[in-house]
This record gives sequence, C-alpha cells and structure tokens, in this order.
Amino acid sequence: MTEEPYRWLEAIGNRREYISEQMKGATPVFAVSRPEGILMLGVGIGHSKVFEVYDRHGFAALGHPVDIEKLRQAAIEAAHVEGFNRSSKDVTLRRLISFALSTTLKSSFEQIFSPPFIVEAIFTELGETPAQDSLVRLHYDGHHHYETSGVLIAAADRKVEAEASAWLRDKLKPEDSLARVAGLCLALWQAMVDGRTLGEFRVPDSLPTTVSGKTVETALIDRRLPGPVQYRPLEIK
Amino acid sequence: MNGDFLALLPKTVIPQAGSNAPSVPPLHATTVFAFHCADGVIAGDHRATAGNIVFSDKTEKILELDSHSLMAIAGSPATAFEMGRMLQTSFEYYRRSQFQPMSLPAKIRALSQLLRNNLAGTIQGFGVVAPIFAGVEANDPSAKPQIYFYDPLGAQFEATNYAGSGSGSGSIKSVLSFLERWGQPKPAEMSVSQATVLANRLLMTAAEFDTATGGVHPEKKLFATIKLVAPAGIRSISVAEQEQFWKESMQ
Repeated sequence: MTEEPYRWLEAIGNRREYISEQMKGATPVFAVSRPEGILMLGVGIGHSKVFEVYDRHGFAALGHPVDIEKLRQAAIEAAHVEGFNRSSKDVTLRRLISFALSTTLKSSFEQIFSPPFIVEAIFTELGETPAQDSLVRLHYDGHHHYETSGVLIAAADRKVEAEASAWLRDKLKPEDSLARVAGLCLALWQAMVDGRTLGEFRVPDSLPTTVSGKTVETALIDRRLPGPVQYRPLEIK
Repeated sequence: MNGDFLALLPKTVIPQAGSNAPSVPPLHATTVFAFHCADGVIAGDHRATAGNIVFSDKTEKILELDSHSLMAIAGSPATAFEMGRMLQTSFEYYRRSQFQPMSLPAKIRALSQLLRNNLAGTIQGFGVVAPIFAGVEANDPSAKPQIYFYDPLGAQFEATNYAGSGSGSGSIKSVLSFLERWGQPKPAEMSVSQATVLANRLLMTAAEFDTATGGVHPEKKLFATIKLVAPAGIRSISVAEQEQFWKESMQ
C-alpha cells in the first residue's frame, strides 16, 4: 500500500479523520499570560489536563489520557536531562518543542502502521515579563506555532478554538485579577462544551469557580516566586 | 512508569571528567553542622581550602536539594556539588513525573547510594565527601525535621540532637554536647533567633582552633549560611536577620 504515493496520502487523510473522531468530546484547555505569571486551566478528573514540566514550564492537553501521559513524560525527561547536563536556564521551550517533541509527534503521525498520538497540547514558558512569555500550540502531527497575543486555547475543533481565543482576548482587561481571568476561562469552557455560538455569548454576571462532577485544574507559573520552581497549583475562590 | 532519574541518564551522553591527577592540593570544603532547635537548623561557614591555601571564602556549602531537604557538604567540593546537583534533579524529576514528592527515607537513601558509588574516589582519598542531610517529609504538617550524617562510604546515621562534619566540627560538637547536657536553654529548646546566634558563635569558636574554618565576623556583616528546615519547607535566614538577632543577643 505504502509503495503507492496516492495510498499513502489516503492513509494519512484517514488518520486525520480518525484522530478528529477520537477527539470529539474532549474539552478545551487554556493558557493566559498575565503580569503575575502564566495562568493555566483545564477541566478534567483529577490530575489529567494541566501539568508541571520544569521550573518555568507548564503543559496542558486534551486527548487520549495515555497519549497525554506519553507526551508529558517525554517533555519532562527531555527538560530534566537538558537541565542536568547544562543548566535550568538552557531548558527552553523552543528547543524542547523543536528537537524533542514535535519531531516525535510528526514521526508517530506519519508511521501509518503504528497508532498516532491523539493529543492537542499547549506548552508554556515563563519569561521575566509577560512579553517574554512563550505560549506554544502543539498539534498531534507535530505542527506548532508560537502565540504572541498572550492568550492560547487548545480545543478539538480548530474553528471553535480560534473563535474562543478571539472572545477571551476581547474580554480580558489588564487590571483583571487572576480569579477573574480563571472565571472567564471557565465560563468560556462551559460555553464551548455546550456548543453555544460564541459571537453572541456574553460574560455572565457571576463567573463560575467550579464545574459539577469535574475537577477544575488551575496552575500559575508564578513570576513573583524567587525560584527555582515557579510552577504551583492555584486555588481559585 | 519511570521516576528514576539515575536510570534515565545512561540513555544520554554525559561529559566525563578527565582522569589526570591534579598538580595542586585537592580542595576541601570545611566545617558544617546541624542541630535541632524549635524547627531544626543547619549551618556552615563559607570557606574552601586547598592545603594551607584559602581557595574561596564565599562557598555556598548548604545546598537546597528541594523545597524540603538540604545537604551540607564537607570534603571534596567537586564531588559534593555534583552529588547535590544529581539529587536536586532526581528529586524534582521524581516529583514531577510521579505526581508526588519522593519520601524522606528515599531521599536519605539516594544520598547514601551516591556516596557508595563514589567508592573509587573515597579509596583514593581524593574525592571524599562526608555530608550532612537535613529534611522533613513533604505534605505532612505534623512531620518532624530529621538530621542524618554519613560516613564517606555511604552509611547513614540519624543524629538525635546534632551532627557536624569537616575540619572544625570537633570543636562544634564538643560545645553542642556540653550545651545538650548543661545548657539553659538546651539547643533543642532554642527559638530560631537564639539558635541563629548560637550557630554563629559555634563557627567563631571553631575558627579559633581550625584555620580551615572561615568563621564569622559580625562587625563586617559576615555571618554563617543558616537555613531552617520546618514542615512548611526550607527558609534561609538572611544576613539582615542574622545581624538583627546578633545585635539583640548583645543587649
């Protein structure tokens, strides 16, 4: 089959459809760059969506739990080996993504006789100022881009993802507290899960802090902490 | 499941140190000690020596391994710093990959294993490390800080009251032994400010008898490195705090 280019393209197309089908029902994750640090939020069951990778690095993802875990372990291993062999300052998202993670994802996606990663991910790196923060959107096929607006959402549907990102960017104000930012993310999460038209979605009078039957996972890579470990779970009240 | 950083390392190429014998006397980090007070104190001077030469008087010998454990080094700094770095990475790698901090007994054993693996350096007498470990179980508000000292081959011993290592530790242990019996208050009953002052006085005493101990000079605002181990985590006592405690003790 793979000797014929057409068949190979067809197989790749089938894999995209398969992954898209598998991702249905997966709920979005968020990363927002703020003066206090990078806020990350996901809604899942226990520790399943938002993770610490290294001193200044976080990871949030949706997809198959096993694939999320494989990607998480790969990122943690690469970061720690790099940090040990050189220094923690040499652990950068650009190198992690370019040399360790995106190549693995691309290879996995194109090896059509082995299962692909079913995962959509966000990686974050804290800078000294919000302008120096790095937010990276990494797709299941290794494709990735660096987001410069300070707001990044990963969702199963790319069109919804783009609309939701625009909505959140529009609603966030510089003076917003972390609790309000988390509340806006959570309200948007609910609207996306409910399939609402985001163009008509208004900010609720009372922002949610919980989701019935689910765990809201919130973390802050805190710019104010002296380090070296700046990632910490955040409790939103 | 893979939370063992030591098992991960052989998969990668790590630069190896050369094997040529040095032409200068080996470096030694000197006096460090730890004793229990209200929380548990660990302290050290800043001196590293090479033979009768003062190599550095600004050496940080109390290494924070993670938010709940410390290692104080005496002996060969090259080996000791590398052990410290290995443990720092191992503990954090385990915590992140396994969603839980490594237990205190495992941390204590990890240092023991590194010392055991340094057997060749220890036998040659050129890479000997005799560290002190102080830590408290993470995520357990009722946990008590513990102090361990090691022989260079890796045997671990819990210190009930205090531990000392390095060339000046003999004087310090003598004074602490005296205070444990007849002190009022005993070191274990001291507040943080009292224990901080005592730690500085101990180093001043050790420096009287041991040229390799840097000592402290309050008049020049040169104080010991002092870190507290408590259930909430590690806290460094800053120079400003030490100066304040010192002045209060003199009134």
